[in-house]
Amino acid sequence: MALLLKTTRFVESQIDTFLDIVSDAATTFQLAVEDYLEGRLPQFEERLTQLREYEHRADDLRVSIERFLYERTLIPENRGDVLAILENTDEVIDNIKDSLLQFSIELPQIPVELNDLWMQTTRASVAAVEQLVFAVRSFFRDLAAVNNYIHKVYFFEREADHIGERLRRQIFGIDIELSRKSQLRFFAIHIEKISDAAQNVCDRLSIYTIKRQL
Amino acid sequence: MFFFYLLSGLFLGWSLGANDTGNIFGAAVETHMLKFKKAALIAAIFITLGAVFEGSGPSGTLGRLGSVDALGGAFTVSLAAAITITLIVRVGIPVSTSQTIVGAIIGWNMFSGRLTDYRSLITIASSWVMAFVLSGSIAALLFHIAKPIVNRSKSHLLEQDVFVRYALVVVGAFGAYSLGANNIANVVGVFVPVSPFKDLNLGGLISITGVQQLYLLGALSIVVGIYTYSHKVMRTVGKDLFHLSPITALIALSAEAIVLFLFASRGLYNVLLSLGLPTIPLVPVSSTQVIVGAVVGIGLSKGGKNIRYNILARISFAWVAAPVLAALISFTLLFIIQNVFEQKVQQEAHYIFDRKSITKIAEEGYDTTALSTVNGRSFRAERDIYRELADQDKLDREQMLRIIKLAEVHHLKVDPAKLQASGMVARFSERQLQRIDELNGRSYRHKWQLMADLAKEEEFALFNPPRSEVQKNYNRVLEGKLDLLFRAFVVDDKKE
Repeated sequence: MALLLKTTRFVESQIDTFLDIVSDAATTFQLAVEDYLEGRLPQFEERLTQLREYEHRADDLRVSIERFLYERTLIPENRGDVLAILENTDEVIDNIKDSLLQFSIELPQIPVELNDLWMQTTRASVAAVEQLVFAVRSFFRDLAAVNNYIHKVYFFEREADHIGERLRRQIFGIDIELSRKSQLRFFAIHIEKISDAAQNVCDRLSIYTIKRQL
Repeated sequence: MFFFYLLSGLFLGWSLGANDTGNIFGAAVETHMLKFKKAALIAAIFITLGAVFEGSGPSGTLGRLGSVDALGGAFTVSLAAAITITLIVRVGIPVSTSQTIVGAIIGWNMFSGRLTDYRSLITIASSWVMAFVLSGSIAALLFHIAKPIVNRSKSHLLEQDVFVRYALVVVGAFGAYSLGANNIANVVGVFVPVSPFKDLNLGGLISITGVQQLYLLGALSIVVGIYTYSHKVMRTVGKDLFHLSPITALIALSAEAIVLFLFASRGLYNVLLSLGLPTIPLVPVSSTQVIVGAVVGIGLSKGGKNIRYNILARISFAWVAAPVLAALISFTLLFIIQNVFEQKVQQEAHYIFDRKSITKIAEEGYDTTALSTVNGRSFRAERDIYRELADQDKLDREQMLRIIKLAEVHHLKVDPAKLQASGMVARFSERQLQRIDELNGRSYRHKWQLMADLAKEEEFALFNPPRSEVQKNYNRVLEGKLDLLFRAFVVDDKKE
């Protein structure tokens, strides 16, 4: 049996590694935002470099998994769904990296009174991504649990939207130039978009889960 | 000449391969779990094994329906069935080989003036319905067992995929084996008594009888059918009727393999019999009806909304159309083969109500006063006797059929060499062969006379009347053997 599952186990480990990277990227994002808000810029840049590496590795893994699934005609019925899940999850990492990259390029000045809401929005978005990783893992190993995680992703996405809205209101409520307000709003929305991307994956995931159920 | 006649049997084998393999591997191939080439290879190997090693299977029931007694007739009946299957398969509708054969045999009965045994026909037709319902029920049951297991399974999607893939191969191989065992008799069964193949002994280890060689040839024609034409039917079964996922495909295939096995396995039949449990008749069932039943069973378990009823209706229509069409084609072809090509499509039947046969009829307890109008006369067709007796209104149909059988003239001359030549020796016990040897050279006018002489050896004696299912089964097996002897020992009237 072990021999029969040799290829399968290899692809399984690649999928697991891919999901580990997504989870690590989300945590790194949260730490990087913290570093940025605390003014630890060299550390922030290190995290960005780390994220770039995650993004590359995730891309390579995704392509490798795709190639294996097609070359060995594995899971023919669910292949398209699995690839869509992986591609959409990969977009979450792209979003995370893009967001940090914009910080690094524009170096926006964030007033200290926004720090708390800023971190809350970030944590909610990161929590949505982490629950997404659980949901995707469950899709492969424990179908019955998928909906619980999807439910949590939706919860954290709403939470991110809700706190994000408060953040944007506060941005426009403080006494700074309009151009800075506009710039900060752009960054706030960027963080909310990470949880939106996680939600998009879950929208598909819930359909694919129904498809997989007998 | 034999090989020319055998061509129609091989044509029928080809059409069976094209049609019935789709029923086994259609869903697996259409869900891309198995590549066509792999499925075809597995089907080819296991149908051949099933045909060669367990092919003697349930051919007796067809024999009772109508015993096609001339090579030309067997050729035409096979040809009619093969043409019917090919016509319907061309439209992409799966059709039952068993049904077309039955239709073609009834066509032969009509042409040759023989009476169709309604009881056998009802047994066969009801087994088709039973197989359909049974496979639907088994599939529904398996579905309800599998549903919570799959939905709560903690194994990885990819591991499940590997499991389902190998399970499809194993269950498909089992299904193909059962199909070969169940259906090969349809393909070349009619040629068994006239087969020129001799027994082969390979290095003293494996012995292949003449019959097995004939079955092997039939199986090879099935294999050709699989490779050349089965792809289209696979699509209808696997895709058009109801969309099957790999797991539901596995469930459907398991139900099909189980049902085919239930109707094909003499071993299981004997076990049920010895345990005193109700038995399942050994009838060649239609793999088409079985798989469609399984797919419908699963579809209904899922709420029935996704079944494409228009396609189901098309398939069901073919089940009625196929036997009718086969009977018509058979009748027409028999007419052409007999009158245009001047080939013998039936042994000339002859029935005589002389002193001997009337005495025998009386011995069996029938009221001979009902025979006043036929007494002393001879007939050429069963139908004529039937009309005469029916006018009397004293006997029921069953009794009339039995009386007709007793009056039938069937010139026989015991010749053990013929048995040896056709490779049928292996089917008889040593004591039975010894009895046949004792009767070497003796001639008989009626089958029952030879039976009476053979019955002096107790291994040739029928239970009369059979009192239990075990005894009925014993009689059925023995009657099958006796039928082989009648076919092997028949001699031409003129030679006589």
